[in-house]
Amino acid sequence: MDIAAIKKELRSILGAEKVLTEDLDLMYYSYDSSFLTKLEPKNPYAVVFPKSTEDVQKVMRFAYQNDIPIIPRGAGTGETGGCIAMDGGIVFDLSTWDDIVEIDAPNMQVIVRPGIIHAKLNEQLAQQNLFFPPDPGSSQMCTVGGMVANNASGLRAVKYGCTEQYILGLEVVLPNGEVIMTGGMKAKCIKNVSGLNLTKLMVGSEGVLGIVTQIRLRVWPKPKARGIAMAVFDRLDDAPAAVLDTYQAGILPSGIEILDSSAIEAVNGFKPEINLPEAEAILLFEVDGNPPSVDYEGQVIKEVVGKRARTIEWSTEPQRMAQLWEGRSITATAAARVRKDGSRIFAGEDISVPLSRVADTLRAIRALGDKYGIKVVNYGHIGDGNVHTAPVINPEIPEEVERVMKLVDEIHLLAIELQGSTTGEHGVGAVRRPYAPLEHGKAVEYMQGVKKVFDDKGIMNPGKLF
Amino acid sequence: MDFKQLPPVKEQIMKCVRCGKCRSVCPIFAEVGNETVAPRGHVFMVGMLRDGKVEPSLEVVERLTNCLMCETCSINCPSGIDIHELNAAARSYIYDKNPSLSRGFVFDTLWTKPGMLKKSTRMMYTAQKLGLQSLARNLGMMRILPGDLAKAEGILDALPRRTARSVLAEVNPAKGAKQYTIGYFLGCATDLINPSVAIAAVDVLTRNGCEVIIPSAAKCCGLPHIANGKMETARELAAHNVKLFNKYNFDYIITDCASCSSALSLKNMEFLAGGPLNPEEAQAFAAKVMDLTQFLAEKLELTLPPLSVEPIKVTYHDPCHLANAQGIKQAPRDLLKLIPGLELVEMDLANRCCGGSGTFALTHYDLSMKVLDKKMASAMATGAQYIATCCPSCTMQLRYGIKRHNWDAKVIHPVELISLYYQKMAKSA
Repeated sequence: MDIAAIKKELRSILGAEKVLTEDLDLMYYSYDSSFLTKLEPKNPYAVVFPKSTEDVQKVMRFAYQNDIPIIPRGAGTGETGGCIAMDGGIVFDLSTWDDIVEIDAPNMQVIVRPGIIHAKLNEQLAQQNLFFPPDPGSSQMCTVGGMVANNASGLRAVKYGCTEQYILGLEVVLPNGEVIMTGGMKAKCIKNVSGLNLTKLMVGSEGVLGIVTQIRLRVWPKPKARGIAMAVFDRLDDAPAAVLDTYQAGILPSGIEILDSSAIEAVNGFKPEINLPEAEAILLFEVDGNPPSVDYEGQVIKEVVGKRARTIEWSTEPQRMAQLWEGRSITATAAARVRKDGSRIFAGEDISVPLSRVADTLRAIRALGDKYGIKVVNYGHIGDGNVHTAPVINPEIPEEVERVMKLVDEIHLLAIELQGSTTGEHGVGAVRRPYAPLEHGKAVEYMQGVKKVFDDKGIMNPGKLF
Repeated sequence: MDFKQLPPVKEQIMKCVRCGKCRSVCPIFAEVGNETVAPRGHVFMVGMLRDGKVEPSLEVVERLTNCLMCETCSINCPSGIDIHELNAAARSYIYDKNPSLSRGFVFDTLWTKPGMLKKSTRMMYTAQKLGLQSLARNLGMMRILPGDLAKAEGILDALPRRTARSVLAEVNPAKGAKQYTIGYFLGCATDLINPSVAIAAVDVLTRNGCEVIIPSAAKCCGLPHIANGKMETARELAAHNVKLFNKYNFDYIITDCASCSSALSLKNMEFLAGGPLNPEEAQAFAAKVMDLTQFLAEKLELTLPPLSVEPIKVTYHDPCHLANAQGIKQAPRDLLKLIPGLELVEMDLANRCCGGSGTFALTHYDLSMKVLDKKMASAMATGAQYIATCCPSCTMQLRYGIKRHNWDAKVIHPVELISLYYQKMAKSA
């Protein structure tokens, strides 16, 4: 079927108001936040905006019959090219299908459509003293559907884990147009070990199995109090050691973040008024819960971490907490501004390593930056070993691009060598797909086999994951 | 200046990491919901234009103009990109390449010659008074107007009989001891549509030790031209105004209009740099420019004696060109709080655009109304009797919103409320 005919048919299936087909409009769907799509934007054949499960089914059946690739997309905030039509196809923009179908407070769950924005969902849940705990840095813009597709987590994964822990069930439209309910057709329970766990299979599958059209999420009571500790270290190795000390003291903070010397320099360069102390590393601990337990945990952190840190400050006062946290909250931004003619890029930005190897990893990345003559800024979720690296380059200089791609490759290989992973929370998409055989070996064949069960024609988000 | 050499085009496009933060705050994206109107989409398209991957065509400009130029994206951009400047530069580039697409007569001729603008406004006033507008409407003549102008004609409220310039003297001496000499930049919209604001401003300033000079040769601030892709004309207007005001020895150059003060600001002068605009002269000029509310609240430190008055409830709408472009949010509120008997009730999302945005309401009527309806819902929820704001474009749009929602409230500039208070004081004395 030629592309003009596909466009015409889609307009007839969904109505022109739910379809974009003009070439100029399609260009706007050639990118996400990945560096890959900055270098090589790729246009889809068409973009559709389904507003019901039936809409999705109709287009899926049409695509299935005509072997047309299908690419689900949320807010396009991903860093892996996961929502890009690598070789043509129909992009499903699900970001405006954003209903909260039901907040079922008595059963501690909520049912949403995939386009709901994470922060907006939590605003609504907060009215009932509930919250959906995973806390990605992109909370204001990312969709819950995108979080499901990538099994996203974020700053509070130390205590609250990843998206998968909160997904009770999913409605999924398969490429042939069939609809399945994972987690039980009529289930509204929290505990459920009945059947093969297709919910867990779908979460993090990055759209290669089907399109998630409805999500049943477990929600938790919203903590009443929080506190922040900032610890400053003269030796890099003391920072991960202090994290371990904290765990061994029986404390599980909601988040533990690290800024290494490169990030401290970036923050101070961008906003001198923040005036972070010069150090090899700064750790920020966030503790949440009920007020007495927050106070207790804060005191323990102060005592335990204080033994290794040059200084440590603990606060539960909102204004001071905001000041202490400010360095971390602007790091991603500050990184982008360390070079006037440069931009931070999203590539090699999400490796995950064993807790015991975090310091080695940070040192190794710095050395790689020096080797390739590229400034890198390191920060991340040290509490679970997830390191975010921001290489800063001028992306319009081809020679620099070439160098940074080598750097990024080495960062990914480093993660595997250190018994880690190329991605802790951002996903694989197209950019980390080449590492799948190295990371998973023979298991890749079984992954492909599983995909085939759901997607016998291979039309679901091709070119991604493995 | 060559489009590709403009600082934002040269330095900022590459900084966009397409994180999508701009999408989450854009009032137009909230209504349209697809990537073609997302601010990061505009940055992407300006990049395509710069790199010659798309032609400077009507199709591209149609997409770029789906933007209120409210700057919400720019102030929220983690990478510090002036998205609105990129958009304006691209529009200008496209119009330069396609003169037939631009509204040349309106922006290059009518809106650069105060006399002609005044005459045409007089003609509209006469038409309104004689009912010619409804005659034209009934005969279907409004349909021949460009864009959505026919639908949007109601936004232009009944025009006042006299302009501000025809009422106010060029030199207005201070009442009492003179503290400052003020150059008053009387914007086109205040002059022709909202003269009462300028009259109130001169009243309040002169009562507080300011000699107010309103140079009669001043021309438009150029903001409508920037928004409509006429950067060269905007540059010429800026150069004219800079030279004119620099001839005087003003302590401050004050304007009541948020759009004018943002257009006359140093940031915008830097954006317009080049051509006839001398950078040193522009810098000296811009250093003296200050929004009226900021001047009254922070420089004059105005105070008002208490008086037994009827209490009034006021809500405040932040004009984008004041809150976003210049970061001025507190001064207008501080001024309002000074007025005895005035209760300031904050509306939800007071700094969200009203959808007016100069000519946007005229060219994108339906979209503008969707943005307006959200604004009105938050304003009406306050139960205020007045919406105070500091921008003639917002004033027109909000007045239209009040009409559209059959609400019993008035739109007013804070300085008008202060002037009214002085009048009450005079009466009670």
